[in-house]
Amino acid sequence: MRNEYVSRRGMTTNSWSRNQNTVRHTGKSLGNLSLTAIFGLMVLIVGLIYATQGVKATSYDYELSNIENEITELTAKKEDLAVERARLTSIASAENSKVAAAMQDGNASGYASE
Amino acid sequence: MEKRAKILRIILFAAVTVILARLFVIQIIEHDAWVARAEDEHIVQSTIKAKRGEIYMMDGDEPSVAVMNETVFTVVIDPLTANEEKTKSVISSAVPAEKMVADWKDIFADKTRRYYIVARGVKQTEVDKIKEAELAGVYYTKGNARVYPEGEMAASLLGFVNAEGKGQYGVEGALDDELGGEDGVLKTVTDVNNIALSIGDDNVRVPAKDGKNIVLSIDKNVQHKMEQFLKEQIDSTPATNAAGIVMDPSTGEVWAMANMPSYDAANYAKVEDASVFINVPLESAYEPGSMCKSFSFAAAIDTGKITPQSTFNNKGYMTVDGWRIENAYEGQIGTITMQTGLAYSLNTSSMTALMRLGDSETEITQKAKDVLYDYYYNKFGLGQYTGIELYEVPGYVTKPDAADAYNSRYANMSFGQGLTLTMMQVAAGFSSVINGGEYYRPTIVAGEVTADGTFLYNQAPEAVRETISAESSATMREMLRGTRNLMRTYGIDKPGYMIGGKTGTSQGIKDGKYTFDETVASYVGFGGAEGELPKYVIMVKIWGENQKLGGEADARPVFNKMSNYMIDYLKIKPGEAHV
Repeated sequence: MRNEYVSRRGMTTNSWSRNQNTVRHTGKSLGNLSLTAIFGLMVLIVGLIYATQGVKATSYDYELSNIENEITELTAKKEDLAVERARLTSIASAENSKVAAAMQDGNASGYASE
Repeated sequence: MEKRAKILRIILFAAVTVILARLFVIQIIEHDAWVARAEDEHIVQSTIKAKRGEIYMMDGDEPSVAVMNETVFTVVIDPLTANEEKTKSVISSAVPAEKMVADWKDIFADKTRRYYIVARGVKQTEVDKIKEAELAGVYYTKGNARVYPEGEMAASLLGFVNAEGKGQYGVEGALDDELGGEDGVLKTVTDVNNIALSIGDDNVRVPAKDGKNIVLSIDKNVQHKMEQFLKEQIDSTPATNAAGIVMDPSTGEVWAMANMPSYDAANYAKVEDASVFINVPLESAYEPGSMCKSFSFAAAIDTGKITPQSTFNNKGYMTVDGWRIENAYEGQIGTITMQTGLAYSLNTSSMTALMRLGDSETEITQKAKDVLYDYYYNKFGLGQYTGIELYEVPGYVTKPDAADAYNSRYANMSFGQGLTLTMMQVAAGFSSVINGGEYYRPTIVAGEVTADGTFLYNQAPEAVRETISAESSATMREMLRGTRNLMRTYGIDKPGYMIGGKTGTSQGIKDGKYTFDETVASYVGFGGAEGELPKYVIMVKIWGENQKLGGEADARPVFNKMSNYMIDYLKIKPGEAHV
């Protein structure tokens, strides 16, 4: 059967036929091997992600350890300086300093005398 | 062929069965043991050490650190892997000789010994110098040390921290819990490099709680001067030991607590005479002698039984329970005033005051003993713990209803014998006698310094109780000023200041008997502007084995120097001169 197209304008143009290139869809599925491979790949990817995260965490741990060591060293140095400062400002240091040695004694108050 | 396969199957089955059985044993039966073994391999549990609190003294109005922490290292060598020449050269130049604890010849003599401690107390900067050389076979162990920037100052008061990190004696010992803090815990998975890993389900980290930074009310300038004057006195007399207290009579805050001789707390293990660890003002009770007349007179004045002008007949001695009790000073025989009796420190005057407490002129009644005990023990706090934050001994005052509360004992107690008191008890009780009659619990902790460096001052102490009336206290101040001056006439103290005090010379006890061959010298006094309440109380004790020392000659000079210093240090302006 042949269909003929007539335009609304009432003019008969060239004969026209419907597109005959239709597509027929048929059900397809992956084979067992493919599924296993995909599953394996997924497991591998998840494993890699896990391993990467683990390594990343460990690298942070190393970084943390280094920072902690640095803090410990700096704290020790700070303590050394604080001790030095305290020693330099102690009464004994002040009394035995060159500045103190160069100073003259003040007049004794002598509030109580023997 | 089939037979062989069958045999093979049986063998395989048996092998698998054995393996499964072994797995069952390991995974099910011995599960816990294997887990524990695995954890031992890769889980480390360690203590996070709490930082010990620092101890501060006051420097005027500001806290100044007196005991600090310092990170120090022990340097260890493995002689087998260390290069002898290079190691020796680097460490010798980096570490001061006094920190070396081993001889180089010994260290490398035996290379089978893999662990040799070569230096202790090494600072971080010194360790850094060694590390720069990248030596093989050199290791470091981190530790902590207490540092005393003021050297030997106040060592007996401060105490020390022993090798186990435990506070011993003094402030370190008594306040060990507060200073020590609480250690934390770290339980973590580690890798082969012993680095703590954050992976793992059982990681535990409980942070350490650092110790409190305690600020003492001790003023380091006052403490230093007191120690200096005590040392000068020891050097210029036959005395071998001395102790002193300076305190604020209006708050009970202790400004100085000195012991001579002192010691180096950083090297406490080298101390040969352990008696230097004793904080004498608190931990040694003794018979203070005539200073106690301040208390017996205060009791008699407060009860209205005597006035400074009350008279009594001084015969130079009294007989009590058949015992003849004499005055040390043989003069002033006849009818004299109580003021004169106190000024010449006559035992007969204090025994008279005691008798009058019991409404008698001739005997020591039970009432007299009851009243004296009430004042001594309940009001002045003598013979009991003062409640100060440090270790102390209670001393002993015989109760009036005790079997040994003889009249002769109470007669002795009226002038400071037959009872044992600490210097702190005397100074705190004496403060209440002259400060208007209010007893303050002595205190040595002024506050704390927080982690961010803020100084939190404790609340101002409040008086615990009234000991005598304000009028009685004013009378006692005058009597004690007169006592200080009368023997040399008025004028030894600068005009405009009211300085008073009382000597104490107590007999030593040998073989259970009093002896004059060894005497302990003491002096307690106060000072301030004329017309105002006293600003400071100073007590001095000085002694030596087999030495005869006197309160007037040997203890009072220390008070004089210290009193002058305090007037300057506290910037006390003179009041209207006394006429």
